[in-house]
Amino acid sequence: MKKLPRHLHYAIPPGPPLALPAGHRLLPTISIPPSTLLPNPHVLPATTHATLTTLPSSGTDHVLTTSLTRAGTLIFHSLPAGHPESYLLDIRAGEYVFAPYRVDVAADGSVLGIWETFRGNPWDNRGAEKYVVDVAGKKRADVVVEARALGRKGFYEERAKFSLMSLAKNPMILLAIAALGLTLGMPKLMESMDPEMRAEFEQHSRSSPLTGATNSAMTGGGFDLAGWMAGTAPSPMANAEGAREGATGREAAAGSARKRG
Amino acid sequence: MRLQAALFIAACVSPAVAIYSDEVNHIDFHHALLGAPSPDSTFFLKPSSSSNASLLYTISDKSIVGAINPRDGTLIWRQDISRSGSASSAAGILRGLDGNNAVVGAAGDSISSWGAQDGKLIWENRFADGVVADLELLELEDARATSSARDTIALTGGESTGVVRRLDGDSGETKWEYKDNSGDVAFQVSSSPTEVFYISLQSAMLKGYKIKVTALDPVTGRQTHQQVLNSESDVASPESILFVGANTASPLIVWADKSHKSLKVNVIGTKQISTINIDNTSGQDIQQITVHAPHKLNSLPHFLVHYETESGAWAEVYHVDMKSSAVSKAYQLPYLQGQSAVATNNVDANVFFTRVTDSEAIVVSSASHGILGRWNVDASSTDRVLHAVAEVVTKGKTVAVRAAVLRKSGDWSLIRNGQTEWTRPEALIYAVAAAWVEDEDQEELAHELEVEGHEGLIGAYIHRVKRHLRDLQHLPEWLKELPKRIITSILTDEVSNLDSFGVAQSIIVATEKGRVYALDTGRQGAIKWGVQAEETSHWDIKSILSQPGSAVIYISDGSSVQINSSTGEVISRSAPTNNKLQSIATFEQQVGSSVIRMGSLGIQEDGTPVAPFDDITGFLVTTSNDGRVLGWVEKDNKHPVWEFVPPSGQKLIKAVSRPSHDPVASIGKVLGNRSVLYKYLNPNLVLVTAVDEKDHTAGFYLLDGVSGKVLYSTTQAGVDPTQPIASAISENWFAYSFFGDVVDESSSKGYQLVISELYESPLPNDRGPLDSAGNYSSLHSNIPLPHVVSQAYLIPEPISHMAVTQTRQGITIRQLICVLPSSNAIVGIPRHVLDPRRPVDRDPTSAEAEEGLFRYAPFLEFDGKWYLSHSRDVAGIKTVLSRPTLLESTSLIFAFGGDIFGTRATPSHAFDILGKSFSKLQLVLTVVALAAGVAFLAPMTRKKQVNMLWKAT
Repeated sequence: MKKLPRHLHYAIPPGPPLALPAGHRLLPTISIPPSTLLPNPHVLPATTHATLTTLPSSGTDHVLTTSLTRAGTLIFHSLPAGHPESYLLDIRAGEYVFAPYRVDVAADGSVLGIWETFRGNPWDNRGAEKYVVDVAGKKRADVVVEARALGRKGFYEERAKFSLMSLAKNPMILLAIAALGLTLGMPKLMESMDPEMRAEFEQHSRSSPLTGATNSAMTGGGFDLAGWMAGTAPSPMANAEGAREGATGREAAAGSARKRG
Repeated sequence: MRLQAALFIAACVSPAVAIYSDEVNHIDFHHALLGAPSPDSTFFLKPSSSSNASLLYTISDKSIVGAINPRDGTLIWRQDISRSGSASSAAGILRGLDGNNAVVGAAGDSISSWGAQDGKLIWENRFADGVVADLELLELEDARATSSARDTIALTGGESTGVVRRLDGDSGETKWEYKDNSGDVAFQVSSSPTEVFYISLQSAMLKGYKIKVTALDPVTGRQTHQQVLNSESDVASPESILFVGANTASPLIVWADKSHKSLKVNVIGTKQISTINIDNTSGQDIQQITVHAPHKLNSLPHFLVHYETESGAWAEVYHVDMKSSAVSKAYQLPYLQGQSAVATNNVDANVFFTRVTDSEAIVVSSASHGILGRWNVDASSTDRVLHAVAEVVTKGKTVAVRAAVLRKSGDWSLIRNGQTEWTRPEALIYAVAAAWVEDEDQEELAHELEVEGHEGLIGAYIHRVKRHLRDLQHLPEWLKELPKRIITSILTDEVSNLDSFGVAQSIIVATEKGRVYALDTGRQGAIKWGVQAEETSHWDIKSILSQPGSAVIYISDGSSVQINSSTGEVISRSAPTNNKLQSIATFEQQVGSSVIRMGSLGIQEDGTPVAPFDDITGFLVTTSNDGRVLGWVEKDNKHPVWEFVPPSGQKLIKAVSRPSHDPVASIGKVLGNRSVLYKYLNPNLVLVTAVDEKDHTAGFYLLDGVSGKVLYSTTQAGVDPTQPIASAISENWFAYSFFGDVVDESSSKGYQLVISELYESPLPNDRGPLDSAGNYSSLHSNIPLPHVVSQAYLIPEPISHMAVTQTRQGITIRQLICVLPSSNAIVGIPRHVLDPRRPVDRDPTSAEAEEGLFRYAPFLEFDGKWYLSHSRDVAGIKTVLSRPTLLESTSLIFAFGGDIFGTRATPSHAFDILGKSFSKLQLVLTVVALAAGVAFLAPMTRKKQVNMLWKAT
């Protein structure tokens, strides 16, 4: 005689073998269809599993776990019978996130219905209906529910890549390039001017307070960093005492020149 | 959809604290373990008939089926087949066939078939009539078979019945079953090309067992013939049978007489028993006889018998005549001193034996005694070889061999042509306790500083100068190293070597098998040393306490072992006492940013300390085995000063206290309007969890450890007491999680995480009854009760263990580290996400938003960035340890109990470290570019200045 394997749990004392005809196996099966988030369900890790959880009562198993099959489905082989129960179905698959489901099971261990449920909402607040048993009992369809991946967890931080564009966008770099262009381009520009205009420009720039300040700074007031680095100015220490007088004298001369101009 | 909305919110608020993908294996490490491989169920297998690549498969004594890449020893997949809940004490069984993409494993009463390449389930089946005694895959080609999947022959043995079943290779359904109700012990199944043999042991009249062989038709399962072998004088127990050959052309049963004088061999299916005299020339008693025969159907009917004595081993090779079933000796592998292990495998029909000894590995063909290949084994160790599996590859006349060798220490290594390619420390799966090593050199410095502190001003100054002069001796060395350090620091990926900042810590791990290891967290958890501290299979370790230079392991019988923490040498042992210990209590005091241990004390199972603690000022809170919480003060170890008994019906399951290193950076919480909520900071808090298994309720009680007063209590309804209830307490907050079911119409079903914060008063800028008091007494005044704010979240999965990150000063925000057993991960939830003052049902006001509060959502999805274990599959974690480093931003995390996992947590980013994104090369290039710019511009400026001075005057 051909017998079906008995999907009984150890906690149940061995009873007579189930002699169900093959067509009447109503094992709840969850299939994971391809979706935009998960184009190929076969990439799910081997640790993927589904769990049915409820409160323990009268010795029946209250946490049932099943692993992902090669076909990309999750099949629960044994649902404890005894009294009706309402289970929370979770699917855990590494970085992929699935919605929780509510699975109601009748006293004989057959599935009454499967609905989507929402965490943090009342248990009776059922979402989309995935399967419900045909009460009239005309046809007993297989309990197959599709569970789509809802999200994907990103475990890693992206490191900012080094790129020339981001470097060029840096305002400091832009400023430096502009300054460089000005320094190199200015004398060329001046040379291309006709002599009269250049004289006028020089006179104009000399009278401008900005250039005056630069000049005075360059020739005396305070420490002349550029000059020192270029080697034209003495070190700030040496500059402190003796050079002070000469500098002021020169500044006075410059001031008189400006008055004259 | 609400869920997606919740996900979105969670994604918005979480700060980025995740690991960078280039830091994987740099700041973290993971030993993915299986446990000790079972000798009979470890094999090389080619999972695909199209490819020649083979993997190493095993089932461990933890009933974990795993596939190992023989190239580098990495785990490809694993499945814990014991998780279905069946309590299996017997070793698991795993079988596979070359070219068949399936391995079939059994543990307890369940059989499951797994895809050999990807580890996904093909089918699983469960039998109510006993545990699975043996499995075989039918190798014979079934003419009517539509698929290439091979069927399984399974034998289950119960109290009085043995059942042989043929299970379909694709669905696992029973094709036929043969029931044996004769009361014999179901022993094994075996098969030949034409028959399936069921071997059972029939109790003989007086003593011993007769071997009964029942031949079954593989197609129908009907009994064709039966034979009983008269073995009762030799076979006293099922263990006496050395070998039942499976799936060979001539399957064998081999057993020996009790005195190890002769060997009996029967070709299954015949009545004939050949007796071979054991020619023992070593002069020592034979301790173990193992039989190695090929497992393939088409292989030559040759087999090898390996004899082991106390100090050496030899082996003999026998041939079976297929026609007459006579057994004849072909040749002998000589007796060699030291350890020896033999493995067999075949290439087509040829059978090869690989023998690995202390000094060499040799390969011989079963047909003749000529040595085909000989290699010197580089790693000879005192570690005994328990068993080996080998794979021989022939190319013309040369052969290559790789052998996976399991040693007694639990190290599983692969030796390829004499070279050890990799070693997996499988014994670490039994880790039960761990402790960070205290450095000795830092202790020296601390001691010197202490000396300086106690001397006068001038004396201290002279001492310091002397110390610095002494330190100068290291200068030449340091100068010599300097150029190398500069160059390597620029060229290497590693930005700065943080080892001197306490991130490279050693940790001592003790296993229940009596082994002690030291792992280096600075070198990817590499094993520094491993010693067998105790010859035992169940070492009930209560605690490891480390002190500078050594670590003391305390056992439940009151004994202890002191081990040198840098070499692993056992320094001293103390004898067991009469008191059976429940735990070890330590008195620790936080001084500055370090913790000083004042002493330790054993706690008996009834909660009483073994001795009064006279010399230590402190108090003790213990739990007793009858479910009470007891408080003790010094000088009295007989009568507790207070006692807490949970309400009737509730059973105490857990008590946690604040970590000994728990610095508080700020005593208050600054609100958005610049007012302050003062934290309730009591260093003596104890959080007690008690459950009522009948009513499904759980009570959480916050006690003051000195007075035993209940500061706060709460009860949760609809709690599953059989699922893990984790709790943690730190600073001025505590958290716990449980599975909560529907209790009324508005309640939800799922795992919950509750966070509670304690404040001195509900009003900002107010300290309640404490007012301006600098300190208060738990005993003499009325202890003020905290103002408790709580919020509960629904979380997607259970939490089996909680810990809190520890940093040096406590300035860095804390993470609640949660072990997620159902997704094999460790997640660190930032504390500010779990702020119970998050506004409910409204958006935060601008002041609240300034504080960092955001709207409460009942569902808390774990953000991927919180996963400390990122995409690693970290299974079986029982305990997580955290340790501060010298860097305030960084906390070391070490998890053990199954796998070993370690990482560095930076809850507020690595703000005091230049990360990998900091490019030293870029910095150097910038400086060079600036220097070049100066060199280029300097003459120009000089010229301009000269010109200007001349032109101006």
